[in-house]
This record gives sequence, C-alpha cells and structure tokens, in this order.
Amino acid sequence: MKHCILCAEHLFYTYANGQPALADVSAELYEGERVAVIGPNGSGKSTFFLNLNGVYAPTDGKIVYRGEEVTKKTLNTLRQNVGIVFQDADNQIIASTVRAEVGFGPMNLRLPREAVLRRVDEALSYMNIAALADRPPHYLSGGEKKRVSIADIVAMRPEVFIFDEPTASLDPVNAQMLEEVLEKLGTEGKTLLISTHDVDFAYRWASRVLVFSQGRIVADAPPLAVFLDTELLKRANLKKPAMLLVYEALLSAGVLENAGAYPKTPEELKGLLARAAR
Amino acid sequence: MWKLAAMYAALVLPAAVYMALHGRAHAHTHAHKGGHRHGERLDIDYLAYSSRMRSWNPALKALLSLSTILLCLLLDNPHVSAAALFFMAFLAVAVGGIALREYIGTLTTPIVFILLSALAVAVEYSAKPAGEYRLFLGFGYLYTSGPMLARSALLTLKVMACVSALNMLILATPFSELIAVLKKARVPRLIIDLMHMIYRFIFILLEVSHRMRASAEARLGYRDTKTSWYTFGHIAGNLLVLSLRRAGAYYDAMEARCYDGELAFLEEDKPLRPGHVLPSLLFLLYLPLMWYLTK
Repeated sequence: MKHCILCAEHLFYTYANGQPALADVSAELYEGERVAVIGPNGSGKSTFFLNLNGVYAPTDGKIVYRGEEVTKKTLNTLRQNVGIVFQDADNQIIASTVRAEVGFGPMNLRLPREAVLRRVDEALSYMNIAALADRPPHYLSGGEKKRVSIADIVAMRPEVFIFDEPTASLDPVNAQMLEEVLEKLGTEGKTLLISTHDVDFAYRWASRVLVFSQGRIVADAPPLAVFLDTELLKRANLKKPAMLLVYEALLSAGVLENAGAYPKTPEELKGLLARAAR
Repeated sequence: MWKLAAMYAALVLPAAVYMALHGRAHAHTHAHKGGHRHGERLDIDYLAYSSRMRSWNPALKALLSLSTILLCLLLDNPHVSAAALFFMAFLAVAVGGIALREYIGTLTTPIVFILLSALAVAVEYSAKPAGEYRLFLGFGYLYTSGPMLARSALLTLKVMACVSALNMLILATPFSELIAVLKKARVPRLIIDLMHMIYRFIFILLEVSHRMRASAEARLGYRDTKTSWYTFGHIAGNLLVLSLRRAGAYYDAMEARCYDGELAFLEEDKPLRPGHVLPSLLFLLYLPLMWYLTK
C-alpha cells in the first residue's frame, strides 16, 4: 500500500513581474516513486519544484504534505523533508569548506553539534567525498561540486529528493555516478523527482513521467504511455527515446513481432532479438 | 655581547633542530593535487589551505600574531623586531610548509610599500644645504644623516616584523577560520555573515569574470586599447546584473535548506595542543626577555 506523501493541488504561481509560471498544476507523489519531469525550458519545472519545497508560496492552490496543508508554521517541516539539489552547484554551495557546506542544512535544523557532525560524516561517505571534507568549494571540480551539492541534501535526510536537471553539465563518468546515487536512494525507498531533457534517461529510469508545457502538466502517466503518444510529444516539443525508435523500426521491418513488451535497455532488446531468432 | 649571542642562539637553535627533524621529511605533503584551475586562484588563499599549520587552533594563531605585533610596537627594540621577523617567517615556511619562494612572493607588495615609506622617513627636503649627505636638485636639497638613516632602518625592521607576524596568521589560516575567530571575539553577526558571503562570492565572481574575459578575448574583444576598455565596461556591467540574479538564486537555495535569517555554519573544533601552545607561549615570553637584556 503506497501512501501519498506530497500533493500539489491546483497550484498557480505568478512571478512578481506579472509573468505567469504555473497554471492549475495538480500532482500527487507517492512513497518510493521515481518521477521524471520533462518539458522545454521555461515550462515551469523549476518553479514547480520551488513551490513543492515551500521556497515559493503559490499564488493560489495548496501544497499538502502527509495529509496536512502546508502553512507558514509547517513550512520548515516541508523544507526539511523535501530537498532540492539545484541545477548549478555554484548557486547552492554557500560555505567555505565542504564540511561546513554539508553541515549548513543540519545546522539550520538546529540539531545538536554531535548530530550535525554525524550527519555530515554520513552524507560525505554516502557521496564518497569524505576526503574532500576540509577543502574549500572553489578548489573543487564540477563533478566534485555536484557531489557536494547532493551531500548537502542527503545530510538533511529528506523523504523526497528533487533534482533540477542534474545531468546538465556532467561528463559521462559523473553522469554514471549520479545514476548510481539515484539507484541507491531509490532502493532506500526515497521518493525521487527529477527534471531532465534526456528522454532516454526518463524512459529507462522513471516509473512515472510528468510532462510540463507552458506552466501546465499536459501528461501524467507511465513513461511508455507518454512516449508512445506521438500527438503529445509533438505538442510538448519532445523527442521519442532512441530505444523506442529502434524497436519500432525493428517491428516495421518485420524482425520482431509486436508482443507489447517494449524494451527499456539495450540488454532487454538483445533478449527480445535472441528470442525472435530462435 | 655574549648575552645577545645567547639570546639569538636560543631562538635559532631550536628552529634549526625542528627543521632538521621535520623540514625535508614532508615538504608539500599537504598541497592539494590539481586543486586549482588557471585564473581563479588567489595565491594567499590557496597557500592558507595547504599550510600544515592549518591544524593549529585559529584563535591561538591570531593571538600569537597580534601579541607579537603589540610587543614589537611597545618594546620598540631592533633585536625584538629581528627575532619576531625571524620566528614568524620560520613558522610560516618551516612549520607551515610553504615554499620559501612563495613566501617571499607574498611579501613583495608590502616590501615595496615599506621601502618607499622608509625612504620618505629617511630623506628630507631643504632649500639650504643641510644634513650629512645631500643631493642638489637645482632648486633645493634632498638630505639625510646618519641618525636619520638609523631611525628609518629601525622603523623598517619594526614594520617588517609586524608584516611578518600578520603574514604568518594569513598564510596559515583559511579565511573562513579567521571569520570564526572574529565571531568568537564578538564582532557583530551582520558583519560576520557579510564576510562569509563576500568571501564565497569573490571566487564565484572571479570565475565568472574569467570566463567572460576568455569569451571576449576569443572574439577579439581586446584587440586594441579602445576595444579593451569597451569590453571591460561591458563585462563589469554584466557582472553586476549577473550578481543580482545570482543573489536571488542563492537566496532560494538557502531557503530550500531551512535558512531563516541566521547563517550558522558548522565550525571545526581545532583543539589547543600543548605542542602548539607551549612554543607560542615561550616565544611571547622570550620577546620581553630579549628587550630586557638588550635595552
């Protein structure tokens, strides 16, 4: 039985300059879900995230965390349990050493010093950066900064992790590292919410996809359903994942028969081909 | 005379023994591997992070440095100044493990200023011939004398000792730890928070401006003086706009981690160790003794 952790109900958000960013956005997030949030730049993904974490207060509508509507009083509970890893680590890292940086969140939770230290050590070894603890952030590489910015959130022990375009500026090795971290968090039952432009990643990784377009959620469905909907993809300016294109090409060439078993990874496709050859 | 020799020996011999024991063994072991990228490095900051004296309690270092400066100024004695100059440089270079070349590099700017002001103290202008040594300029004389030169030399030595003491503190203590010391010294929180932010932003701005500069250079933005000024103006303007936008992004990111108006950073506890406190204390007692024996 899965419980709804975080709900957005009819969210509207308008920036101070009058520019609307979200229009009637509703979504329910369940425990342990892996949600990919896709859509073009400026379609409201980041604004949605900042609303979910309570940094932005919605112009209209509400956020419900564990069955209770979030108010000014419960704002910090929300921020504590919904952590955001920002797109640009340099916009997130505030302290002058890695240890102080990772400790920033726990310190703000007003935990006793020992507890803060314990959490920091845990988060650092979780992200494999214990050796960087005493370094200043300005002498770290891009990948190391990303790890630090994730450790920042791990140290706060939230239930929901939000990643805002985490792979945007990572090299393949660090992108791989990121996927391993996501896997690890997933197996711990954390709810993961990730915005990305990488449809291949969304197709292979997510259990559910939210498609944003012009401040609205235009689709909320399992990845396969979203990526098979050609009309929707056109409207939201999205591409089909390569794996699906290959599979469809194989179907139309008569190499494979449509059994409704869409492959998600190259290995699954190999399995299908091997079975068809037999 | 033998007293003076004994006093200097009391300072130099332990230092020599320390160097023999530690000096070569782990020179540069703490230097960060590939820790910096071209164009974003502030030498002093980088040296402070790689100093072996980083493990010392920052308050102890600050106290040692400031007491030394005070003693140099109050006692006003060339031997005290010389001893302080030597010991502080010894701490930064031999104990801290900073290469001598780098250390001297950090001193060049202050030395230029000190020598210029020493010249101003030593030399005076007069319309008529005066002093022991003089230079005729056609309309008057620049002159100086033995006592004036001696006074200037003493002053230079004293100032150099103070610079050396401050340099020891700066080259052995990362800025964030200095801020923590100031916080303990009850400097108002607003100023402390601002120092933290400014320190972090210096590096972000440096990096961004470096990137902008590189991209402007790639488009011939510095081909001649006029273009360079034009480009410089645009980069400065862009930096301002970007800083404002970044400040907004930063604030969001901080709020997302439960920031509520009070910047509370986790500070490392660097315990006072007898091996650090004892030599510091001995040195601070040594300076007045030196003064007493040589006055």
